[in-house]
Amino acid sequence: MLKHLYDTDCVTWSPQGKLFQVEYAMEAVKQGSICLGLKSNENVVLCSLKRQPSELAGYQEKQFKIDDHMAIAIAGLTADARVLCKYMRTECLEYKYTYESHHPVGRLVFKVAEKSQHKTQSGAKRPYGVGLLVAGIDPNGVHLFETCPSGNYYEYKCQAIGSRSQAARTYFESWFHLFEKSTLEQLILHGLSAIKKAIMEDEELNEKNVEVGILGKNLKFTHLNAQELKDYIAKLETFSPNSQIQQE
Amino acid sequence: MIFNSEISGQQQHTTSPVVTGGSVIALVYNGGVIVGTDTLCSYGSMAAFKNVQKIAQISKNTIYASSGEFSDFQQVVKELAKIDRSALQYDDGVHPSPKDYGNFLARLSYKKRCKINPLYLQNVVAGFHNGERYLALVDIYGTYLESNFITTGFASYFCKAIISNYWNENCTLDQAKQVIRECFKVLFCRDCRAHDVIQLAYVDEQGTHIEEQERVDTKWDFNGFKFRANEKLHTQ
Repeated sequence: MLKHLYDTDCVTWSPQGKLFQVEYAMEAVKQGSICLGLKSNENVVLCSLKRQPSELAGYQEKQFKIDDHMAIAIAGLTADARVLCKYMRTECLEYKYTYESHHPVGRLVFKVAEKSQHKTQSGAKRPYGVGLLVAGIDPNGVHLFETCPSGNYYEYKCQAIGSRSQAARTYFESWFHLFEKSTLEQLILHGLSAIKKAIMEDEELNEKNVEVGILGKNLKFTHLNAQELKDYIAKLETFSPNSQIQQE
Repeated sequence: MIFNSEISGQQQHTTSPVVTGGSVIALVYNGGVIVGTDTLCSYGSMAAFKNVQKIAQISKNTIYASSGEFSDFQQVVKELAKIDRSALQYDDGVHPSPKDYGNFLARLSYKKRCKINPLYLQNVVAGFHNGERYLALVDIYGTYLESNFITTGFASYFCKAIISNYWNENCTLDQAKQVIRECFKVLFCRDCRAHDVIQLAYVDEQGTHIEEQERVDTKWDFNGFKFRANEKLHTQ
């Protein structure tokens, strides 16, 4: 009950030291459908489950290319995500125009985080209601970042956000030690296996409701097309992480 | 004294340089890039400031030199240093490569050219990054050209033949140094605004090395100067 006394705006702290508006914004991220990312030494893979508002509608895309070397997967308010996506794309273009090279990934995530934090410290603004998984490659290596409405950001080896993402994270906890040396194909299969853990019993993975994006040191960001998705989902039947251990 | 620009509030534009530096010669060699300049800043035709270092170290593996208005050179050094410091601000250990600096300078020069208020410089950016040599010219208009050898100012007229004949991109450091010294020897003889004290700097895998100033060898004790042989004809 006390919660409601301190949650009107971002400029009010609670006695426990919380900003409730920011916490509520993080809830919006948890309501979005699951998206996850995982990286090896050479590649990053983003997988997401697309939602269909109704049978008449198409599926909502969740992955957006920012630049050849960077992409994001979103969970939460898509409209807010578009604003951040546009910002990131503009920053990358400007950087390329000035320096003729790719925007360092960590630096762009920092800029997004700074922008997000701004919204948490004003009476007239609300935080962005979207969490991003930012996958990118730069001279510092292969990166996967998560950003939050609070303005925090973290670097991960693998991470899942959105609804029922805990199931995917549990899968990651068991197998992430294999990811570093995985091939691109193994990485994709791990990602799809993790997503499979997070779907409801009556749902199934197919090439329409799953989105897979891949990025590599010599591979610009691309989405797997419908046929490739079908093939990988078929391979899931015979894929087991245990077999990867035996290979090494 | 009230200047016209103060009355009308007009922006002044650089139409001609005041304190100028001479030619820059830069070559790649086997293992790095070397840049040479003389150490003179001229005030018109007066050799006003000698012993001036005109090669600046921008970062661990990038150096910058230019010919033209020296105050613009100093300003560009500050601008490029600002970028290097941004790595500190973002705390991410990402440092610009020499190519990033070269392109930034090209964009800056082009912007100022578009406002008809240029940085009155021919710029040379040189560096060594990820095992690759980098050398680029950015001119007063913002034209950006990467090349294996670069000459600015009078060196473009007098020295290209020497470079063609005695240098190739895989020569040793000492060979490259000799070529540059020979070029500045010729420049001192032929370019009124040149000086015989030069400075060399090179970037290789280990980083940047800026050498002490040195005087080029020149010969002035020709018989014609010593004994004024031609005068005999006129006094007869």
